[in-house]
Amino acid sequence: MILPNDFVFTQANLQNYVDCPYRFYLRYVLRTRWPALVVDQALDFEQRGQAGGRFHRLVQQYLMGVPAERIEALAEEDPWPELRTWWAGFMAHVPPWLVGQRWVEMSLTATLAGQRLLAKYDLLLVDEQGNLTLFDWKTSEKPLSKVRLLERIQTRLYRLVLLQASPMLLNHQQAAPEQISMHYWYATHPQTPISLIYSQVDYDRDREYLAHLVETVTNAEVEDFLRTADLGRCRFCVYRSHCERGVEAGSLEEFDRLELELDDPDQLIDFDDLPEIEF
Amino acid sequence: MLLTDEQGLLLTQPIDTKIFVQGKAGSGKTTAGVHWLQKLLKAGVPPHQILVFTPQRTLAQPYLDCMHDEGAFAHSLITTMTLGGLARRMVDLFWPLISEEAGFAHPNQPPHFLTLESGQYYMAHVVRPLIENEGYFESLAIHRNRIYAQILDNLNKAAIVGFPYEEIGPRLKSAWIGGIEQFNIYDDVQRCADHFRQFCLAHNLLDFSLQVEVFLQRLWPLRLCREHLVQSYRHLIADNIEEDTPVTHDVLRDWLSEFESALLIADEEAGFRSFLGADVISAFSLGSACETRLWFKQNLVNETAIAQLKTGIQSVISQLQSRSEEEIESPTPALREALGLPGEHIKLFPSMVKWVTQNVAELIESGVPPAEIVLLAPYMPDVLRFALGDGLDALGIPHQSHRPSRALRDEPATQTLLSLASIAYPGWSMPAQPVNLALALMQAIEGLDLVRAQLLVNLVFEPGNDGILLKPFEAIPNAFKDRITYRVGERYDRLRQWLLEAAGAEGSQNLDFFLSRLFGEVLSQPGFGFHDDLERANTVSTLIESVQKFRWTVGQQLPGEDFNLGKEYLRMVQDGVIAAQYLRTWEERSPDAVFMAPAYTFLISNQPVDVQFWLDIGSPSWYQRLDQPLTHPYVLSRHWTTGDVWDADNELAAAHETLRRLSIGLLNRCRKKVYIGMSALDVRGYENRGLLIRIINEAWRRSLKEGA
Repeated sequence: MILPNDFVFTQANLQNYVDCPYRFYLRYVLRTRWPALVVDQALDFEQRGQAGGRFHRLVQQYLMGVPAERIEALAEEDPWPELRTWWAGFMAHVPPWLVGQRWVEMSLTATLAGQRLLAKYDLLLVDEQGNLTLFDWKTSEKPLSKVRLLERIQTRLYRLVLLQASPMLLNHQQAAPEQISMHYWYATHPQTPISLIYSQVDYDRDREYLAHLVETVTNAEVEDFLRTADLGRCRFCVYRSHCERGVEAGSLEEFDRLELELDDPDQLIDFDDLPEIEF
Repeated sequence: MLLTDEQGLLLTQPIDTKIFVQGKAGSGKTTAGVHWLQKLLKAGVPPHQILVFTPQRTLAQPYLDCMHDEGAFAHSLITTMTLGGLARRMVDLFWPLISEEAGFAHPNQPPHFLTLESGQYYMAHVVRPLIENEGYFESLAIHRNRIYAQILDNLNKAAIVGFPYEEIGPRLKSAWIGGIEQFNIYDDVQRCADHFRQFCLAHNLLDFSLQVEVFLQRLWPLRLCREHLVQSYRHLIADNIEEDTPVTHDVLRDWLSEFESALLIADEEAGFRSFLGADVISAFSLGSACETRLWFKQNLVNETAIAQLKTGIQSVISQLQSRSEEEIESPTPALREALGLPGEHIKLFPSMVKWVTQNVAELIESGVPPAEIVLLAPYMPDVLRFALGDGLDALGIPHQSHRPSRALRDEPATQTLLSLASIAYPGWSMPAQPVNLALALMQAIEGLDLVRAQLLVNLVFEPGNDGILLKPFEAIPNAFKDRITYRVGERYDRLRQWLLEAAGAEGSQNLDFFLSRLFGEVLSQPGFGFHDDLERANTVSTLIESVQKFRWTVGQQLPGEDFNLGKEYLRMVQDGVIAAQYLRTWEERSPDAVFMAPAYTFLISNQPVDVQFWLDIGSPSWYQRLDQPLTHPYVLSRHWTTGDVWDADNELAAAHETLRRLSIGLLNRCRKKVYIGMSALDVRGYENRGLLIRIINEAWRRSLKEGA
């Protein structure tokens, strides 16, 4: 095994492996940063990601009890005009769904194939019947289809980890898959979240898929981390020059058209990544 | 793993209790803390309810490692936190509730948290005009960056000690007994601190001091914030509290009753970060707030000889300190086995280095693993580090330093990108020096050596031009083209053309994006110097992050028609205000290398070794304070009595106490032997007559007396 001993699998690093094993190798095994652009319109791209991060923070503040009117004042003065609409949409539709005990920005872990998995949830709700509802806030322009969402590593991993960790949230009671539902709420389509129910069949399928994936990565030798055959993705990969697969970054329009996604915007402002001032 | 009786006693305590553990370094306190964490987990405490609090993040690593080992049954994560991290998280989360009351001019806009780098930048922005136009600090002959850093340090001291920042100047003045000039300097310090704080409030900027103040004054008393913390964390482990600050201890004391369990761990004979505000007295006062107090007395590190050396040094220093209340023990002759001394008098510094490296080689040959050897000096200046590194290299001994050899701005990769940026933006009127441009081209173009790079620059560089500063390859005489080679010429033209086009291209107005494109579209492509160079890619990433953070904090706060961010960044790099940090401030210790570090860095890393080399021990830096004319760690501490003056006796007592803590702290982390590296003349040719030499000599003499 060439992974570091303390390596933890997340949706981001597993998605990277699925997209391109070699990118995974560069980023997580060699820990190489390659400072090229992801898309050509870098400022738009950055501002979009930052706005998403700020929206996540506003929602977190609301869920933790900061009065809505104070948050609204921040949304009103935000430099990204759409953020006001996102916030209005959130307040108009989401609060009635917030029933049960709240776990905001909660990280849960599980073990699969001898490896640790980590999932960070925007919001977990636990109701009196022991139902577990998880929400994921999305600020990308276009929602993915239900079929695409079901295929996503995030969906598979988040539900599986939640099921395994459920005794911790349910007074030592193990939840059944049917007690778990996952909702992708898109700020651009606030009325109806895309809701995914869970079943034993889903769990068994996801478990097999993820276990196989984790084992494959864990047992891989250096030469097994191959470059992706999907050259279209390379235009949006920072390592493209290292792999000699292109010069300029792709356009933002094409990025959107291919339904590619930013890394989790909330992770862009993760405190653990910020250098702390030690004093 | 077998536990000591003391560790076992801790683990028999019920988990619904508050325990204070104290003991010397090497007595197994942190190991016991890790076992306590395991006990909590095995008792069914969810990890997310456990808070591990340390003065710096690296000290929480044993607890994080434990979580990885215990992963099979843990379904969430523990939280590790420092005071700075806590303050920053809470300010960010509850900002809408306090932004207006705290006096920020734009309460409905988000806060901007300053890093060390951006804090220094803004301090320079505020103070520079006062120096240049109003004569501030005119009697002071120190580098301006030290002025900025010490004013920031004063603000931080006020925050972590817990006094109003408006009292910085008056406190410093009240303790001063020298000339009147210094009073003016302290007045200037206070006015600069005032200006800086007002500037921060006007622009929603929060440096470390303001983050801590806002947290303590606005958020810690706020019900919502307090409830969030109290409900989130039910169990506390606070390690190395003696290295933490008084306000941290205040918060912990206040918070303690809310926890179901708490384990506080303190090192005796420590407090090495006192110059950063660590407060041993307030740390140990937390003992009375706990229900159970345990002492760890057994030293699990020292062999007999080292224990005797400790006794010897302790006895000499105690006598110097006139500690009559202490029973002064004499060391036994075993002390001599713990000391490695040169067989003959060493006069010059290079000979001392040679003696050190030879002894390191012999130790390794005799079976001591390289990682069990550390080379320590008070500050480990570059000249010593390079000399030791060269000596070890020559003997084929792997070694590792506490930091890379160069600051970010001095890295060749950084200089290459910034030199090329200055060419692409002639409007900045900051063209690179020809020699720097030659170095940049040599780095950038594969196959170009320095001689031909200089030749190329001589032929194509026209710094006086209004427009493009570089002529095309075709413009130079054919004889030179042959010499430089057409292959290099073709690459040079590609780079030149890219620079011409890119500066005007959409999205290149921001220096960080420009640098990313330069790296991705040219320098990392085949035929250029950064292709396949992963290490240099990491350096460029750090540079671009630095520019990016600069844009994020400065660009949004200081917009103006004449203000060009890229130019400003470059100017600040040249002034040494930013990009002066090292690429990584802390690296994991390599398991196969001799480690070189300043003594304090080694102490804080908390990893005992078999053998230590104490270098340059004639230097007064082992005990003297840094020369900081604008601040004072003792006067600005919580234990300074207003009205007292700081005199020579205080200075001497502080020096003795520093030396005692440092030498005993090092010995507590040494198993077998200390080699004493000394030469009659130091690196600058001055005579070495420091106190540490005399103390070791005296300890040696006393052990002889004992053995006679």
